[in-house]
Amino acid sequence: MRRLVILLLLYAVMRGVFALASESAGAPTLMLFGFLILAAYSVGELAAGIGLPKIVGYMAAGIIFGPSALGYVSRPALVELTPVSNLAIALIAFLAGAELQWKEIRERGSAIVKMMSAELVLSFVAVAGTLALLRGQLPLLAQAPAAEVFAFSILFAAVAVVHSPAATIALLSESKANGPVARYTLGVVLVMDVAVVLIFTGVLAAARALVPPSGGGGGVQVGAVVWEIGGAVLVGGALGAAVSLYLRFISRELIIFALLIALLGAELARVLHVETLLTLLVAGFVTENAGGGRGETFRHAMERAAAPIFVVFFALSGARIDPLAVLPLWTIVVPVVLVRILAIWGGIQIGGRWAKVDPAVRNNAWYGLVSQAGVAFGLAAVVADVYPARGESLRALLLATIAVNQTLGPILFRLGLQRAGEIVPEQRSDTT
Amino acid sequence: MTTPLLLILVAAMAFLATHVAYEWLAKRLLIVSGAEYLVLGVLLGPQVTGLFSPAALDAFQPLVILSIGWMGITTGMPLRLSQMVRIPAVTYRLALVESLVTIALVGAGATSAFAYGFQLDQAAALVPAIALGAIAVASTPAGLDVAFGGRRRSIPVLQQIEVAHGMDGLMGVLAFGGLIAYLHDATPLLVRALTTTEWIVVTLGIGTLGGTLFHLFLGNEESPDRLVIALGGAVILASGAAAYLDLSPALATFVMGVILANSLRRPGPVAEVLRSGERPLYYVLLVMAGVSWRPESNIVWWLVIGHYLILRTLAKLWGTGIVTWLNRAQERVGLDWGRALIGQGRLTIALALDYSRRDLPYGEVVFTCAAVSVLFTEFFAARFVRSAAEPLMLPIEQLTATTEAVAGSVTETMTHAIPGFLRGDRDDRHAPDEDEAPVQAERAADELPEAPPSTRSSEDR
Repeated sequence: MRRLVILLLLYAVMRGVFALASESAGAPTLMLFGFLILAAYSVGELAAGIGLPKIVGYMAAGIIFGPSALGYVSRPALVELTPVSNLAIALIAFLAGAELQWKEIRERGSAIVKMMSAELVLSFVAVAGTLALLRGQLPLLAQAPAAEVFAFSILFAAVAVVHSPAATIALLSESKANGPVARYTLGVVLVMDVAVVLIFTGVLAAARALVPPSGGGGGVQVGAVVWEIGGAVLVGGALGAAVSLYLRFISRELIIFALLIALLGAELARVLHVETLLTLLVAGFVTENAGGGRGETFRHAMERAAAPIFVVFFALSGARIDPLAVLPLWTIVVPVVLVRILAIWGGIQIGGRWAKVDPAVRNNAWYGLVSQAGVAFGLAAVVADVYPARGESLRALLLATIAVNQTLGPILFRLGLQRAGEIVPEQRSDTT
Repeated sequence: MTTPLLLILVAAMAFLATHVAYEWLAKRLLIVSGAEYLVLGVLLGPQVTGLFSPAALDAFQPLVILSIGWMGITTGMPLRLSQMVRIPAVTYRLALVESLVTIALVGAGATSAFAYGFQLDQAAALVPAIALGAIAVASTPAGLDVAFGGRRRSIPVLQQIEVAHGMDGLMGVLAFGGLIAYLHDATPLLVRALTTTEWIVVTLGIGTLGGTLFHLFLGNEESPDRLVIALGGAVILASGAAAYLDLSPALATFVMGVILANSLRRPGPVAEVLRSGERPLYYVLLVMAGVSWRPESNIVWWLVIGHYLILRTLAKLWGTGIVTWLNRAQERVGLDWGRALIGQGRLTIALALDYSRRDLPYGEVVFTCAAVSVLFTEFFAARFVRSAAEPLMLPIEQLTATTEAVAGSVTETMTHAIPGFLRGDRDDRHAPDEDEAPVQAERAADELPEAPPSTRSSEDR
């Protein structure tokens, strides 16, 4: 009841403020940021009350207050709040890296790579095949020659195989799950996140060879990709070493320091043209493993600093979803989503047997691999950039698919953790 | 170098300085650090290196507004009624008159300075003059923190200075917020044009709603994560809404601060969260202020600025002296406690930056007055406080030392004579109530050797 009162009050405040605003009023960016923190968190708690993950609630708040419904968060406001999303991604990557212990990598690394490989190959083939089979439903591919169908199908599949480190970290943080299923799922998601940069680059090069883009714009060069990944490891390592030194010798005001490090890492990655997620992932990993035992304290400080930013990040992700845009494409979206889920399940089963992991992991880890978010959005934008005309309709299809996976993924992940017994019922209502 | 990277590095420097330079300078040299960031901002801005362009500055407006709002709420938080009622009325009387004298004297002086210096009629000169009056009244509590920390709150002169800082903040924020509401001339899109009173009510309403939302949101749960989300969300929303409506973010969040201070059973954790953000945000505010500062070599400017500095100093020194003498309180607080109010700091910069960013008349002059005042006075704020208070504290310290020696001797004798005397005494003590608990905690903290100033809650002021 209290949550509903808060939402009603927030709704009234926003109505009142917008009614009192003059024509010359500037952008309400700061106000919307504060509004989204409170509103999305309240909707998240309502969602938790009916057994759904909070991040589903945050995204629902984004949809409700976003441009496709009430419109408080307009499209220009979404653009203005982009730095918040970038900061959230940086925090997520750092936290993900900080979750990885060297000991754990030695113990589980091989199994994670095997599971990821099997899942990746099966998902890629299955999704590409499904799109090729359903090409008659998509005007873009209905009359296209075989080479073009193949090129766009593999491009689509290269984006569709991506997972969401953001959703995974957020849900693990919310549920405090730390068992084998949680650890293996996180491992697969993170390794896949690195692998997908390479895979997407290769697939894009193949697609460009098969279907040259008009004007030849966009695209990615191999040398740039090598630097993007290698440079990220170097920059991330240096950043992590600097954080470790700070933790050893100063170690004060960690919450503000954590925010500054995330901002600095994201900005350095942007300026130096290296992969942002990998940079911060490596920085987090180095901090955790070379921080002289203070890495965990820093991670907790960062989790605290990240809490309101995660809320806004997922709300903004929700605001970008246009439910009406999904409906016309449902004949393709639904089969693709189902096939992808089936392929993830099959891939983890095969990979799990190959790696000889516990059956509980094999049977439940796939639940956590359905989510998609930020990285997939970014890759879809690259496709639209390389193929400005045809890529746009492919992007619309990708966004619709991502929207469904984004909504469904956290619910399934929570279910998987519950089935594995890694969420204690009392912890259901914990704060993020 | 890109602007965001630059800002991050500046913030990082400011952040490191918070714990390195500030504490070192404060402990060893009794200097309040901070104003140097204003100089750093000038160096980074278009006036010198041009690393920060005016367009880049616009991109950071949300951060500036949040910082202004943050200064507003930290000014409101110490005003806790249950503690204020224990202070003698004369203390408030002195503080109120001192505030009013400062506003009136600086306001009247600035009106004539603007009118003669810039050839304006009195009405046109009134707006920047009132803004200067509101800015002039604000005084920084940082000097008191550095010089005496949270200790000796019961000593009348320190209590008087502390109350005067609070009153200065209240009057400055109220006068400035009222002025901004008066100047509000934009017509809302969906309702009729509002009067000044209505805009003031809207500003107060935003603060009240912010406080209400905080309470509703937090509920009975007091986990630190939830507290950060509730407080961060409410402060950002209130500051953002006030700025969006072209009202004063400082006044809206000040009201919110007063509401929180008086409605929370234990405001300590909230004050602690606010404190952790206060100094870094102040430094960022100073850098931004320096970047946006565009001083001119026009002699009239500098005459107005000199006029402001002299009038403000006179108002603080003589105003307090005269009002203390008229109230026959000189034995209690002395005639020189106004010295402790000369230092200006975070609230001054916040209000001045809020004025200048609105393109109001003579914004640059008003801002330069505030910036120069902060540059000249903040460094020595702690020394001003010490010079004002120490002469009155020596007899009290001697008396306290004698009393403690006598009490110690009696206790020792009694303990020898009646075993268990002290234990029984402790058992009989009642549990502290909610209001006493923080005070007792502070007293306990005061006994710790060399507690750094920044580790104290803002309530200590």
